[in-house]
Amino acid sequence: MSSGMIFGLTGLAIFTIGLFGALVMVEPLRRVLALKLCSVGGGFMLVVAAWRAPPEVADPVPHALVITGIVVMISATAVALALIRRLHTLEHDSDD
Amino acid sequence: MTDLPRIDWPTLVVFMPLMGAMLAFVCPRQAAGLGLVAVLSTAAAVAALVLEVLAQGAVVTRLGNWGAPLGIDLRADGLSTLLLAMTAGVGIFVSLGALDSYAPMRADARTRRYFWPLWLLLLTGLNGAFLSTDIFNLYVMLEVIALAAVGLTVLSGRREAVRAGLEYMYASILGALLFLMGVGFVYLELGRLDFAGLIAAEPAPALTAAVALMIAGLLLKSALFPLHFWLPGAHANATAPASALLSGLVVKVSLYIFLRLTQYMPLPDELLVTLMGALGAAAILWGGIQALRAERLKLLVAWSTVVQIGLIFVAFARAGQLGLVESWKAAALLILAHAVAKAAMFLAAGRIKDEVGHDRIRDLDRSHIRPTLAQFTFALSAISLIGLPPSLGFAGKWMLMEGAMAAGYWHWIAVTMIGTLLSVAYFSRVLAGFLRFDRLRTPVGEHQGWALADAAPLILALSALGLGLAAAPILAFMEIGYPFGTTP
Amino acid sequence: MADPLLIFDALLGVALIALAIAVLVVRDRFAMIVLFIIFGLMTALAWVRLSAPDVALAEAAIGTGLAGALMLKTLHHIRAAPAAPVPVSVGVVFANMGFCAMVFVGLAIAFMATSLEAPGLAPQVAQNIDASGVAHPVTAVLLNFRAYDTLMEVVVLLAAIIAVWMIERGIEQAPARHLGEIYRGFARLALPAIVVIGTYLLWVGAYAPGGAFQGGAALAAVGLLLLLSGLYRPQPAHRPIARLGFVLGIAVFASVALLVASGGRLPFEYPPAHAKTLILLIEGVVTISIAVTLAALFHGREPEAIPVSETRA
Repeated sequence: MSSGMIFGLTGLAIFTIGLFGALVMVEPLRRVLALKLCSVGGGFMLVVAAWRAPPEVADPVPHALVITGIVVMISATAVALALIRRLHTLEHDSDD
Repeated sequence: MTDLPRIDWPTLVVFMPLMGAMLAFVCPRQAAGLGLVAVLSTAAAVAALVLEVLAQGAVVTRLGNWGAPLGIDLRADGLSTLLLAMTAGVGIFVSLGALDSYAPMRADARTRRYFWPLWLLLLTGLNGAFLSTDIFNLYVMLEVIALAAVGLTVLSGRREAVRAGLEYMYASILGALLFLMGVGFVYLELGRLDFAGLIAAEPAPALTAAVALMIAGLLLKSALFPLHFWLPGAHANATAPASALLSGLVVKVSLYIFLRLTQYMPLPDELLVTLMGALGAAAILWGGIQALRAERLKLLVAWSTVVQIGLIFVAFARAGQLGLVESWKAAALLILAHAVAKAAMFLAAGRIKDEVGHDRIRDLDRSHIRPTLAQFTFALSAISLIGLPPSLGFAGKWMLMEGAMAAGYWHWIAVTMIGTLLSVAYFSRVLAGFLRFDRLRTPVGEHQGWALADAAPLILALSALGLGLAAAPILAFMEIGYPFGTTP
Repeated sequence: MADPLLIFDALLGVALIALAIAVLVVRDRFAMIVLFIIFGLMTALAWVRLSAPDVALAEAAIGTGLAGALMLKTLHHIRAAPAAPVPVSVGVVFANMGFCAMVFVGLAIAFMATSLEAPGLAPQVAQNIDASGVAHPVTAVLLNFRAYDTLMEVVVLLAAIIAVWMIERGIEQAPARHLGEIYRGFARLALPAIVVIGTYLLWVGAYAPGGAFQGGAALAAVGLLLLLSGLYRPQPAHRPIARLGFVLGIAVFASVALLVASGGRLPFEYPPAHAKTLILLIEGVVTISIAVTLAALFHGREPEAIPVSETRA
């Protein structure tokens, strides 16, 4: 057992929990969070791939990739949330 | 390396639409003009790249001069360049169609202003994906494409479009994240992300997991049955030029990446190839039935996209594991055929809807206005989608059946035949409506004449027919620089 | 297993999994978002344990902080909607649960069978870092070795803000005060401090954890505070400046990449003598664009003249 192993399995678990949520959940916000969980799981896998047992230093390339992934994910989240707000407004207005 | 500084076309092919997108966004009033210039100059750069590839084989750009795997390489071989050319060609005519569709009398100023930056960003992402040789870079490109495509889906701002766009967004993000997890497994095993590293790799459990994840993500993004649930709504509810881009080009990216990956990372099992063919067959049947039942023209066209994607996967699986080295060519030909014909068809359907005022199939023959040219265009593109000679769709289907016959896989031939019959059936629902005049008592009004918007889809539909005659040179071009890594 | 840090790791892992499940099952949507924010912060902690401080910083600032703020804003907007529109049948839930469990087992087997000691690209980065112009490896990868990816990532941000402006046109913005007034005095005190932190993060990125994205996120927090406290209200007249702010980073980045190519070099191949200057320039403008874009993503709607019909409400 090492930190890499522990967090690698954690990341996989988080990814599959997110996958489950994305498949099953119906509430818009919760689906977005489920996808966010998937992305954190993917991030874990790359961070673990970069990890070396100390005192070795970690591989910087996957770190850069995960930072890119985080920025990409906030962009996608913002667009999804904007769609959710818009859809709510449209449906709300039609009810009146 | 001492001669004149070479103009680096692959980089320009990606950067030109990007610059155009920024200009069109910053100067919204000139968006249409700037956008059209950007699309045309991108097409010119692609043409230059085609000539370069013809002259000297695959073109590789080592960005930053680091070279893969530390840096990122762009690589334009026959297949990439062919798809770039397809994107440029379809892009020009859809842009021309958009000039009319979003003209001041038809759409509000905001729709017009936002179409161009989004479409140019989409073009950036498409070109970048076709040139990429790095799987993480592909992930980023997929996200550029996804966000721009969702923006285009909801351009009209109507409730159905926004609902479909949100569904599309969820599917798109999930597909990209599955792909990202696959990228993580690749790095875990190989410590590099470039295509060359994938080819050299020994089989390993982590790579099997990676292939499974990436393929699952790509199948979701290319809407293979039963993962097609998001497609009909999104493609049917977008405005016509956006639908043409979504159906003609966006879906093709994930199919292209799929073709690439299976070239470099052999599928672990014959069973998987057959499974994909079976899903394709199911898509052909289910999509065909839904297209027969569709009440609206654009929905029918969207379901026909589901059918065609199924057909492409059948083409892929037609000769089993051993045939994979060859079957990508039939699939690529069908991708090309579908892109051109479907873009034409969606533009024509949009024109019909604009002129008639609705797109209910049942009432098309009751209309007082006959948009003759748009109807003719629709029929022409249906010929290619059904797969009648001499169209490109015919060439693709022929290659598919030839390969299946050679391998003795008669079931794929049967599936293709059934698919052809179904497509004849659902397209004739529409075409019959165009040809019947007896339902109308009053005199039929004339079409409003030659519009720019009619010329664009008509040229596309004609090229879908005519390109079938050029299938042999296209196939030869496709093979330039294949297999990977043998750059002359 | 005697190592107490490993026990800490295992506990952290279990807590993360529990929080992830809790995010999906907790009934109250506000609690769901709060749990998600806690989950994000603990993720950052785990990544620090995996010696990835840059990533942890980015996740805490952008992936958790900003995403959480966006979620809360959206929740406020849609609070009238019922929490669970359509119940899902138990059969579907169990079928998916079984499917996901199979996926987990398959992936876990593949993961356990893989050695965590693949060479990776670290040696190549170490070998070339002197030629890259920056001393911190992650920054070198982001702005030199894989600069193309980074450029495209800023393009994703641009696509997002264009899409968001397009989507939210003509929507009546919920008045800011319902979101919770942030005490203006606090804002006035906090703002200079955050600006200093953001600039510091950007600067320090050249040789220590930090850089454009973390710095940009900190500066975006300034924008959030300004928006929430009402010290700044976006006006239609500010749109051209905002648009320029969004594209500035990409425009400079892409131009530099192409201009260096004109001198017989390849795109993105910075001349070694000027690499440090060029990278600092790019980082600076990209930070500004990231900050402006992230703040605008939080604000959402494009500022536009309010039609007469809407002013009544």
